[in-house]
Amino acid sequence: MMPGFIRAGVRRLFQLAVRRPEEAAADAEAELQSLLDEHTRYLTARGMAPDAARAEALRHVGGPLPRASILLHRSAKRRERSLQAHEWLEDFAADLRYGLRVLRRSPSLAVAATLTLALAIGANTAIFSAVSAVMLRPLPFAEPGRLVMLWEKNPDFHWDREDAAPANMLDWREQAGVFADVAAYPHFAGTITLNGYGEPRLLKAQPVTGNFFDVLGVRAELGRTFRDAETWEGSGPRAAVLSYRAWRDVFGADRSLVGRTVELGGRPVEIAGVLPARFAVPGLDVDVWEPAGWNRTDRTQIWFRRAHWVRVIARLKPGVTLEGADAGLQKVVTRLQHDFPATNRHMGAGLTPLHEFLVGNTRLPLLVMFGAVAVLLLIACANVANLLLVRAAGREREAALRLALGAGRGRLFRQSLAESVLLAGLGGGAGLALGWWGTRVLIALQPAGMLPVNDIAMSWRVLAYVLVATALCAVMFGLAPILWAGRRMPADVLRDEGRAASGTLRTRRWGDALLVSQVAMALALTLGAGLLVRSYLGLQRVEPGFDSRHVLAVRVDLPGIRFDSTSKILAFYGDLEREARALPGVEAAAVVSAVPLGPPSWSSQFAVAGREALDGQVVHRELSPGYQKVMRVPLLRGRLLTAADRREAPYVVLINQTLARTYFPGRDPIGQRIAFDRVPDSSSTWRTIVGVVGDERQGSLSEPSQPEFLAPYPQEARSGMTLLVRTLDEPALLAPAVRRIVAGLDPDLAITSIQTMDRVRAASLARDRFLTVLMLSFAGVGMVLGMVGVYGVVAQLARRRTREMGIRIALGAKAGEVQWLVVRHGLVLTGVGIVAGVAMALGATQVIRTLLYQVAPSDPLTFVTVSSLVLLTATAASWLPAARASRADPCEVLRSD
Amino acid sequence: MALLKGTLDALVLKALSWGPMHGFEITRWIEDGSRGEFAIEAAALLQALHRLEERRLLRAAWGVTENNRRARYYSLTPAGRAHLRAETESLKSAVASLAAMLSARTASAPGGR
Repeated sequence: MMPGFIRAGVRRLFQLAVRRPEEAAADAEAELQSLLDEHTRYLTARGMAPDAARAEALRHVGGPLPRASILLHRSAKRRERSLQAHEWLEDFAADLRYGLRVLRRSPSLAVAATLTLALAIGANTAIFSAVSAVMLRPLPFAEPGRLVMLWEKNPDFHWDREDAAPANMLDWREQAGVFADVAAYPHFAGTITLNGYGEPRLLKAQPVTGNFFDVLGVRAELGRTFRDAETWEGSGPRAAVLSYRAWRDVFGADRSLVGRTVELGGRPVEIAGVLPARFAVPGLDVDVWEPAGWNRTDRTQIWFRRAHWVRVIARLKPGVTLEGADAGLQKVVTRLQHDFPATNRHMGAGLTPLHEFLVGNTRLPLLVMFGAVAVLLLIACANVANLLLVRAAGREREAALRLALGAGRGRLFRQSLAESVLLAGLGGGAGLALGWWGTRVLIALQPAGMLPVNDIAMSWRVLAYVLVATALCAVMFGLAPILWAGRRMPADVLRDEGRAASGTLRTRRWGDALLVSQVAMALALTLGAGLLVRSYLGLQRVEPGFDSRHVLAVRVDLPGIRFDSTSKILAFYGDLEREARALPGVEAAAVVSAVPLGPPSWSSQFAVAGREALDGQVVHRELSPGYQKVMRVPLLRGRLLTAADRREAPYVVLINQTLARTYFPGRDPIGQRIAFDRVPDSSSTWRTIVGVVGDERQGSLSEPSQPEFLAPYPQEARSGMTLLVRTLDEPALLAPAVRRIVAGLDPDLAITSIQTMDRVRAASLARDRFLTVLMLSFAGVGMVLGMVGVYGVVAQLARRRTREMGIRIALGAKAGEVQWLVVRHGLVLTGVGIVAGVAMALGATQVIRTLLYQVAPSDPLTFVTVSSLVLLTATAASWLPAARASRADPCEVLRSD
Repeated sequence: MALLKGTLDALVLKALSWGPMHGFEITRWIEDGSRGEFAIEAAALLQALHRLEERRLLRAAWGVTENNRRARYYSLTPAGRAHLRAETESLKSAVASLAAMLSARTASAPGGR
């Protein structure tokens, strides 16, 4: 009776399934019959007649036989299923333990694979966190799907998705009939000085229409938000709503603050409420929200319709589609074009879902980065697959032996899979940790406003992504050795006495294919990075039109309540400029309303006396006479401004070269009279052009200079100006002295910003630099992995052919010739990889076209340079193992095995 | 007499603690051991065996009887042995309290409370 147990034992030793569920029913039936037979035999042995004995046995079944059968079939099937599941789990646990043992036996492989995966998964985690936070997470507003951004466009000025004129926005709100409500906020970041809480402190302020928070569907955490009527309270009594951050950090989370009055911008302001912590509008960094403070009379003023400076957010009425809303909007637009030809003749408008609008310009860079890290992950997978393949070749005999002893291929498959799951798990875990850290680095290094979210946190979405990526990795690199191992006949392998590490043709082909794809992907990645680098270098070389070295820029915004007249403003900046110029080490000083490459200034249309109306847009700046001297901008014609161009003096203006070329081609602009209105009337101010100066890049280094008017600031006073100081020495050293001057002039004044112009220039490239650096580091990792792959494959080949190389050397071949045998293989594969990579990149780099400055996506120089670099590195990576193999002592090699 | 719920499992495990047996041997062991007090129905027994095997308290394999017939033999797994020990303890104490309660009621019934 014992043999049965032994057999089962052996079965279990081989870890094979005992029985399939279908067989379990037959098994149960047989068992029932055997039990009945035994019972019958027992009774016959005690003298009962066979028929009577059988009947007696049947009586003891416990019910009719068919019913008993069904019950037993069911219980037997359930038993088998459960046993099988259990067995599978147990086997898997055993496989994992086996995998762990194997990994512990080759720690270098485990470390290399884990590190490779951790790098790739870490990069994926960080970038996907950003993607998830920016693109996938809904805005923190009520029913964000019904929110749209309304904007204006005008073909005359090449405007698209531009700021709206407030008067137009008010008409849309009242006449379109498709919006539940429409709110607006001026599209410029303001600051406001807080006094009475220690040193004067600048807070970031954002005016909004009174219905702004209602449109977004946000309620105050404490107190209230604004009332609709507060849009129109002009400069009367004011209220403010604090961001949670400002309430916590500036006011120490004081709950009794709500309803109290603090001194903001030089006047008493009531703190009406505090917003919830999670409230944030992407792209807006705000401490204090203020009501717009418009006057009812503004609505009829022409400037309220001519100047475009508000962003408009609308909430669609329930059930209104985007198309329906647009149709409603266009009706009003057409009416306004007809009713206000002076301002709205060609003014169009449109709408975009709010989320899309707010994250729109971050989308492409993010997707490019996401693509890059996805490719990086593929490279990493290919790399690990190759490592495992090499190792599998080394273990071919072991696998063959197990097959010969009766282990199923399925089992070997699972063991291999368990091992890759283990590796992927290790890599995924380490990658997640690395990614968590990487996310922090990403947030810290991002140029301000690049990622329009306040916090990028690990979320379930990120975790799910990492989990899926890890699982895919495991399958991808687990599959390679399996597909190969499934084919070899054990007998063949075992016959290959002693040449266990030789590997088969099939392994080699797999390895070669993996290598080619690795090289191709690494090359494509590096090409993308190369293009960005070249574009960035080009941007850095762009001549901005001014000399940014040795210039300090100090922004001071004067609170309107105390500086309520032009003379007070002019007096302040006049004193500031004079005292700064008197500082030791200062070569020149001037004030200007907007520094180049900084936040944009205002723009308008204009008219030239005696000429047809012009459809064109010019930007404006106001400055003091010394500006061109400080910034070293050349005078091309006429004269510069002088101290004599005072408020009372005849109005004059400078123009830049682009304006002269665009609007006065072949004519002398000097002496021409212009007005800042498209169609001048009796109220227009006429100014005489007195000089032409060199172009400066106003907005960014990648955009050409705009036509520009430069007016003397006494004739067009601004309450916010930047003091520019040219120094003989390092400009930053002068900052304390300038701070003392400002404090001396007005102790209640906070300085908005102090930075060198070099810094301003660098900051204007921060986004390009950020992208380039990220891409470059991804490409670097990809490249290293790819080259490690080349090294690995060639090293394996060299090992395989060491014997052959030894024989050749013994027969008198030169080391170089012998090495070439192996190096050639690596180079051929690299060559194929390069061709594939170039083909891949030619398609892929089209995507980043708009991110490139004056570099074609198929820039030949980049393609040639990067490809040669890859070929060179691959040569080195191939030659290293070849040289080592050829140095082996021929006698030694031939004697072994 | 029918068995109390749960006691069949314990008795099967106890039977197998003597060594591997097939179904009818287990029936005989229980019926003989209880001097015919407990009657075992074949369907109930086999279901119990399947259930116990499913819980991995038993192991089974086909073998050959003394009369050269095929039969499914069951033996205890280490888990089954441990389960039997625990079950024995709890059944013993359950039976003791059952007996105590049953006898206590007859003793105190006339006195009342």
